[in-house]
Amino acid sequence: MLTTDDSAPFQEAYRQLLAGADQPDWLRSQRQAGMERFTALGFPTRRQEAWRFTDLDLLTAEPWRPNLDDTPSLTADLLEPWRLPGEANRLVLVNGRFDPYLSAIGALPDGVWLAPLAETVLRRPDVAAMAFGADGNAFAFLNAALFTDGAMLVLAPGTVLETPVEIIHYSMGDTHASAHPRLRVVLGAGARATLVETAVGDSNGWTNAVIDVTLGADAELTHVHIQGEGADAAHTSLLTAELGSQARYRTFAFITGACLSRRDMQIALSGPGAAFSLHGAYLLTGGQEATLAVRADHKAPDCRTEQVVKGVLQGAAHGVFLGKVAVRPGADGTDARQLNRNLLLSPSARVDTKPELEIFADEVKCSHGATVGSLDEAALFYLQARGIDPVTARSMLVAAFAADVIDAAGLDGDVDALLRRHLAHWLGGEGGLG
Amino acid sequence: MDNILEVRGLHARITGGREVLKGIDLTVAPGEVHAIMGPNGAGKSTLSSVLAGKPGYEVTDGSVLYKGVDLLAMPPDERAREGVFLAFQYPVEIPGVNNMYFLRAALNAGRRQRGQPELDAQQFLKAVKEKLKLLDIGDDLLRRAVNVGFSGGEKKRNEIFQMAMLEPNLALLDETDSGLDIDALRTVSDGVNRLRDPGRAIVMVTHYQRLLDYVVPDHVHVLADGRIVASGDKHFAAELERTGYAHLCDAA
Repeated sequence: MLTTDDSAPFQEAYRQLLAGADQPDWLRSQRQAGMERFTALGFPTRRQEAWRFTDLDLLTAEPWRPNLDDTPSLTADLLEPWRLPGEANRLVLVNGRFDPYLSAIGALPDGVWLAPLAETVLRRPDVAAMAFGADGNAFAFLNAALFTDGAMLVLAPGTVLETPVEIIHYSMGDTHASAHPRLRVVLGAGARATLVETAVGDSNGWTNAVIDVTLGADAELTHVHIQGEGADAAHTSLLTAELGSQARYRTFAFITGACLSRRDMQIALSGPGAAFSLHGAYLLTGGQEATLAVRADHKAPDCRTEQVVKGVLQGAAHGVFLGKVAVRPGADGTDARQLNRNLLLSPSARVDTKPELEIFADEVKCSHGATVGSLDEAALFYLQARGIDPVTARSMLVAAFAADVIDAAGLDGDVDALLRRHLAHWLGGEGGLG
Repeated sequence: MDNILEVRGLHARITGGREVLKGIDLTVAPGEVHAIMGPNGAGKSTLSSVLAGKPGYEVTDGSVLYKGVDLLAMPPDERAREGVFLAFQYPVEIPGVNNMYFLRAALNAGRRQRGQPELDAQQFLKAVKEKLKLLDIGDDLLRRAVNVGFSGGEKKRNEIFQMAMLEPNLALLDETDSGLDIDALRTVSDGVNRLRDPGRAIVMVTHYQRLLDYVVPDHVHVLADGRIVASGDKHFAAELERTGYAHLCDAA
């Protein structure tokens, strides 16, 4: 339960949003439901097992009032380093609000709905209704109560969207405010799309995103998440996904930003033969903390989960990987693999890793593993013995360690290039070992 | 011309551990090939490790001049850029680091040190192709990660190939013959012979006479219990083959 004082700034913003002239009644009741669930739950605490390793003091110590004022305009050059190379349908949100000037949505094929959420609420309430009602955690309920905008991507059965969809949330300004972008993706049977979901910025704000994905039978979504928030920012996001039979959901999480971040992923493999893969890297320095908490719920037979997540931790950084694969009764033929490997580059860097299996079915093939190590001294000397200076040698080994997970993901052209560019940028900047 | 290497009274120990080198004296002139032989545990590999600057050893006394300069004052990467090359007894596998990328970085690091322009990808490739022929190495090996999945013979050939690319002034070959079958030994030896040069010195550390049948040294030294206890010309190796090390070691 939240005390009145804690939630006062949220309540105030919430009442202001409810009173908005453009709010249909059904949306008001969704906001109300969100606020009720949030106030009932309160922020998670370390006493809850799933939140044991995450330090939420930064978020709970003082209020992060949602910014409901007009957002300052963002210049395109700030966005440039984060943008997908090549063609994309780009939807940009700044501090939780849609920015039409930086967005560029091309001609869409029949059967595709791609628009900001607020616009969808007004123009297609039937479509917008799909963005609400999913179960979530306290943060997701707070998002339902306080969101100002977001995005909706809906593909009719059999529709293929070749051009990637890029949704960038940019957090700017010295605000100490919160933004609550809400993203909903629905792919009908046999539909196919690529989504790049980017959360970046230069502010000291808190981004609290919700992403809800539904994949129909045989649908395929490639979903890359880039989190490069500012050094004083906080980021929380809850991703929920439901996979129909033979659906394929490929995700990549690339996490380098924020001083505190946590991404929860709750994946339900509900139809037989569905496949989920997560590849990811958290690359952290200074006092950064990042948590990646993934739950893959195998509810149907013959589903596959593959998770390969790598961590590189410098300074006093703290990385947390919580990976659970739950195999329900009857989910025979499950094939699940989990691997979390970490490289600690400083004596004060820390990692907590907890890959878990929870199996209630027979005939399953499950494996999990975690490693925590430092750079290979023999390899370092070998490189130096060939004339390569120690800083470059270390950088080469770290790059190789992290690039390995990008190789393993096997993504296509522009998306692959984007990840490699971000990795190179990190190694040359924040992660620079000089 | 100056000697390439002058080792004087070199004492070294494993950091915090026992003394392994107990007063090594060794002078190597340009163009010379020296073989250092001796029983296991005599300190042969320690000598090449200390000269290359491998961490984990401590020099307690003596000096090493390389081309007249204090070698021990330089960090290992600087020694390499100045032209000291160690062919590893056990070349290290480095997953994720492409062999070509690695070698070009190494080559250009040396070129920068010498004030030469760096080689671009095309120039580098041309140099690679010339040297590959020398060692009968397929270019598929170069597209792989450094030493990853290489056979024992491939690893040793890769070491000599790197030596050919980096063109050192002083090459230290640490048990380069170990683990090679006769064909691989011949290929590697041919490569080393082609790299003999009036401006280059080669110091081969080996336990066996076998390598010296293919790469004929100018000088042969016996290292026992951390000291060089006997030296001779190329015929000395054959003599050692007959008489063994035992009587020399006793003398030490």
